[in-house]
Amino acid sequence: MRAYRALLRKDMLLELRGRELVPAMLAFVLGALLLVRFGLGGETQAGGTRAATGLLWVVVVFTSLLALVRSFAQEREHGIWDGILSAPIDRAAIWAARSTATIAFLVITQAVALPLFWLFFLQDGRSPSLWVLACALLLADLGVAMLGSLLAGLASQVQAREVLLPVLFLPFAVPLVTVAVRVTVNTISPQTSGFSTFEGLGFLALYDTIFGLLGWALFEYVVED
Amino acid sequence: MSSPEPALVVCRGLVRRFGERAALDGVSLELAAGETLLLTGGNGAGKTTLLRVLATVLRPHAGAVSVAGHELPRQARAVRPLIGYVGHEPLVYPSLTALENLELYASLHGRSAESCRPALAMVGLERRRNDRAADLSRGMRQRLALARAWLHQPALLLLDEPTAGLDGEGRELLNGMLDEHRGAALVATHEPDRFAGRELRLRDGRVAA
Repeated sequence: MRAYRALLRKDMLLELRGRELVPAMLAFVLGALLLVRFGLGGETQAGGTRAATGLLWVVVVFTSLLALVRSFAQEREHGIWDGILSAPIDRAAIWAARSTATIAFLVITQAVALPLFWLFFLQDGRSPSLWVLACALLLADLGVAMLGSLLAGLASQVQAREVLLPVLFLPFAVPLVTVAVRVTVNTISPQTSGFSTFEGLGFLALYDTIFGLLGWALFEYVVED
Repeated sequence: MSSPEPALVVCRGLVRRFGERAALDGVSLELAAGETLLLTGGNGAGKTTLLRVLATVLRPHAGAVSVAGHELPRQARAVRPLIGYVGHEPLVYPSLTALENLELYASLHGRSAESCRPALAMVGLERRRNDRAADLSRGMRQRLALARAWLHQPALLLLDEPTAGLDGEGRELLNGMLDEHRGAALVATHEPDRFAGRELRLRDGRVAA
């Protein structure tokens, strides 16, 4: 726990000092939502709730990638891996701290993205259940951060890491996004779907459990030389 | 009659490859507790690779390596608390202050934040403790790296070109640190005359005759 707390504090301090990730993620979210809303001239709304919700989750996933691609960037660029890896700690603490920091950055970004999504795409009286949507987002953030940090650790050991990480991450994100979209759609228009919201949330929790266990067990080996 | 010091580090036929090339090709050595061993040799001789294997950052591909009786890589977790490693890079975060960097490593080694002040004072950085590592000169970052490695009083110091960037005063501090150090030290250097200790020369990944 001590190593986890120290590494998490370090990750938060680095972001606070460098302001590398969160401003870029916010700019991306804002740009992507504006582009979809005005670039498509309202056609998304005509495409229905599912299209708008799908866009929200695509934006969430690509914003996550921004954070994940920069994961362990300082360790890589300044050769700090040797210092961290030679410390007497459970290496899973590195993964856990990085996952927690990523979740924090995603939550901040989504606090801005959600009101914009509502403003741009749900102005016709439709309204999602905020609690269910918050649960879905948090569960998705957990899955994205835990899986993404594991893959970012793996990608940090190779040359073409900026290319490799999205290639590895996006296929694994497909089931997460599919279910998250259905959960969100269900909270906005329950009558259009026979899908159970609680089953969807249960799937997201299962996804988190699987990648949480995999991350904890495998991180040591993915950063091993 | 006193018995000889038991070997802290033992390497037998150590091999480490990068692709097809063997960076270490059957290196054998012993280092007793309290001894300083100076690793010399030209660029690409295998000095850094040997230090990184002992720092548990690289896995050996063949041969036997042990530190304080713990075999590598199988018992790497038992070895890590015993080593203090200074690499080619200072291994510190540029955006964190000197003190924050040491506090991070102190936590990772299970030490209290109070242990950082004496380490900073030892390398003459007490007054610069709140400066970001990025704002320190190359030599001062190297001093910070030495403080980081020495912080938890390791049984084995692994120093890779520790004089790089150090001025005269920094070199004196380093020698003072090695004199005070009660454990063993393995120092990769191109300047063996600057240190007291036994010399072991590597050439093309092997111990030179």
